[in-house]
Amino acid sequence: MSLIEFRSIAKAFGGKPVLRGMDLAVEKGEVLFIIGTSGVGKSVTIKHLIGLLRVDAGEIWFDGQRIDQLDEKAFWPVRRRIGMVFQSSTLFDSMTLTENVALPLRKHKKMRMGAACDEARRRLGEVYMTDFADRFPAELSDGMRKRAAIARTLALDPEVVLFDEPTTGLDPVNARRIDRLTRELADHRGVTVIVVSHDLTSIFTIADRIAFLYQGAVRAIGTPAELRASSDEVVQQFIRGLSSGPMETPGF
Amino acid sequence: MSRGRISGRVLEGIESIGGAALAIAREAGGMVLLLGKVIRALFPPSMDARELVRNLHKMGNRSVPIVVLTAFFAGALMVLQSAPFVQRLGATGLAGWAAGYAVLREIGPILIALMFSGRVGANNTAELGTMTVTEQLDGLRALSIDPIKYLVVPRVIAMMVMLVALTAIGDLVALLGASLIAKIVLGIEYSTMYHSFADNLSPHDFLQGIYKSLVFGGAIAVSSCYFGVSVKGGAVGVGRAVNAAVVAAAVSIMLLDFFLTYMNI
Amino acid sequence: MKLARYTGPIERLGESVLAYVRATVELIGLFFSTMAGVVRGGRPRGEVVHQMYVIGNRSLIFVAVTLGFIGMVMIYQACLQFTKVTGDFSQVGVQFIRLIVSDFAPTLCGMMLATRVGAGIAAEIGSMKVTEQVDALRMSGVLPVDYLIVPRFLASVVMTVVLSVVGGAIMWIAGGLTAQYSFHVNPALFYDMSLVRPIHLAMGLVKALSYGMAIPVVSGFCGLRAKGSSEGVGWATTSAVIGSSFAVIVLDFFWSMLGFLFFGASL
Repeated sequence: MSLIEFRSIAKAFGGKPVLRGMDLAVEKGEVLFIIGTSGVGKSVTIKHLIGLLRVDAGEIWFDGQRIDQLDEKAFWPVRRRIGMVFQSSTLFDSMTLTENVALPLRKHKKMRMGAACDEARRRLGEVYMTDFADRFPAELSDGMRKRAAIARTLALDPEVVLFDEPTTGLDPVNARRIDRLTRELADHRGVTVIVVSHDLTSIFTIADRIAFLYQGAVRAIGTPAELRASSDEVVQQFIRGLSSGPMETPGF
Repeated sequence: MSRGRISGRVLEGIESIGGAALAIAREAGGMVLLLGKVIRALFPPSMDARELVRNLHKMGNRSVPIVVLTAFFAGALMVLQSAPFVQRLGATGLAGWAAGYAVLREIGPILIALMFSGRVGANNTAELGTMTVTEQLDGLRALSIDPIKYLVVPRVIAMMVMLVALTAIGDLVALLGASLIAKIVLGIEYSTMYHSFADNLSPHDFLQGIYKSLVFGGAIAVSSCYFGVSVKGGAVGVGRAVNAAVVAAAVSIMLLDFFLTYMNI
Repeated sequence: MKLARYTGPIERLGESVLAYVRATVELIGLFFSTMAGVVRGGRPRGEVVHQMYVIGNRSLIFVAVTLGFIGMVMIYQACLQFTKVTGDFSQVGVQFIRLIVSDFAPTLCGMMLATRVGAGIAAEIGSMKVTEQVDALRMSGVLPVDYLIVPRFLASVVMTVVLSVVGGAIMWIAGGLTAQYSFHVNPALFYDMSLVRPIHLAMGLVKALSYGMAIPVVSGFCGLRAKGSSEGVGWATTSAVIGSSFAVIVLDFFWSMLGFLFFGASL
């Protein structure tokens, strides 16, 4: 059985269905990209894995355990094993980077402030942010905040890391740095990585498999090469970045 | 106007009253739920000590000047209000009693609570609201940290403790302000006022005011935290949340004062 | 140098005092600008009436409930004291209505409105400021003061007086009911307006008018200074509530003081 399985997921917001009959399996240790146009439900999908959203119908399985019915309290242990890096970094404004990374260490590994800060600095070093360890998030650029947020999520050594549009809004150089970090996570630490993105360069550089979301379900899934060779015209329109084609996008 | 239009308007009016009543019930219910979560998080006491200290420091620091100033004027006003009465009857010994009783039992706790709500409560809602809007609260949840235990509980405790301390200080300053105005405007000696306080006011009066401020502190804390964490919709949402929190706190203070007054004699 | 250790905090204190002074000067400037704007016109049609609806309608229940409860508490405490001292309730009603008219109704209403209306105005104008709508107004050749603050100013002046009257009436009735049911005071004895004189009415009116003027100016001022994003709006709203409440208290003290100095014991 796969590490994570989505079975027939349905989710609607205010009467409008976003996910309809979505099925997806994620294997341990792989880097899976979930791609699609804006608003198709990519972020919604991964937020279900840490209980920020609840499904209307369907089942979600993680490591042989069903998690879609768990209440808030029962989700805490799951959240220690699945980490998420948000699109807006969500670092805490009132703390320095070190204090930010030290927070989960203090709370879950019961470290004291001094030891936690030392460990936090070490982890910031892993994302090449040691020089900025004592700065506040507001003083830093988007790319730096993203890297610090990654360090904070990794502090609990999760088995699975979810990235919500990690390279959106970053300049090309920083985007490639993030890509490299993401790949290292899977290769050197055996972390299962799920990335939500519409950055074609990222997708075709570091993905093991790609799941293409369209109209609420997974329309195509496979390796980058398989998707490139796909005969599905909707898939081709997306990966070639064409403005016209059979794809239905509201408003055009 | 035709009869149809009139009844249409009446229906609209009833609908909007009903809608408003439902909205109030929903918010009140939400606050009670939050209060329940906070209380449950206190047994066993497991809050973040650093956050508690940080909030105590921040809230106390911010509000001392405004509370002191307000209390001073409040005490002075009490004397001014009773001044014509006192002067006409020549009852200088009563001035301290009138001002003191009103200050310790009612004006002190209520006015200081209102100012506290405006300063600390509103600020707290704005902070929590901004954190909610920028997904920092979700970020905490994703790190398996309970926002209630980590953010809300320390703030509630800090606000209650701080308001009690500020009310105690404010009561004192108000009595000083009352004495000053009594001397300047009515020519009543400080010693007369002091004796008037000492003879007519008991520690019981002071304590009743303090109990009230403890309850007010809880009400302000729960309302400000509730509206902070349930913000929706960016900068506009935060402004609206602060508005709602401040109004809810004011109404709660008045209602609670009523019940507390009737309960303690 | 030892001196450096002391100058730090003193410098900071000096800076914050200067900042307050500067802000007060700007605030006074805004007030005169608003008065000029009343004469100038340039506000959108029907905006004053709309603001009167916003302020009056939405605050009516709030003011009624809060003033009603305070009235009950005040009478309860007063009667308790009277029982201990004289046992004679004849003065409770007459003094209460005198105080309501000359002070309690306008001031308590003012405090409540400082909270509700102050926060509302600052939140609205503050959101507009941080989303650059205020700049957009200026670009179109409209003065923000005329367009945003003046209508709220006029509406607030009218509505504060109206709400004070309504609130005062409710306070009076609520107090009377408390006296009647908890202390068996005869309603005919309680509802006695004989001590209320023109000077009391004038005081109450002047206070209500001044609060009605102060609240929108202070709150509008805080709203226009909002910076940043949601944090800035939150901060503006906070300052507005505090500033308006404090203005009400200071104005109350000012008018009460004036009244007592000029009219003394006949007040």
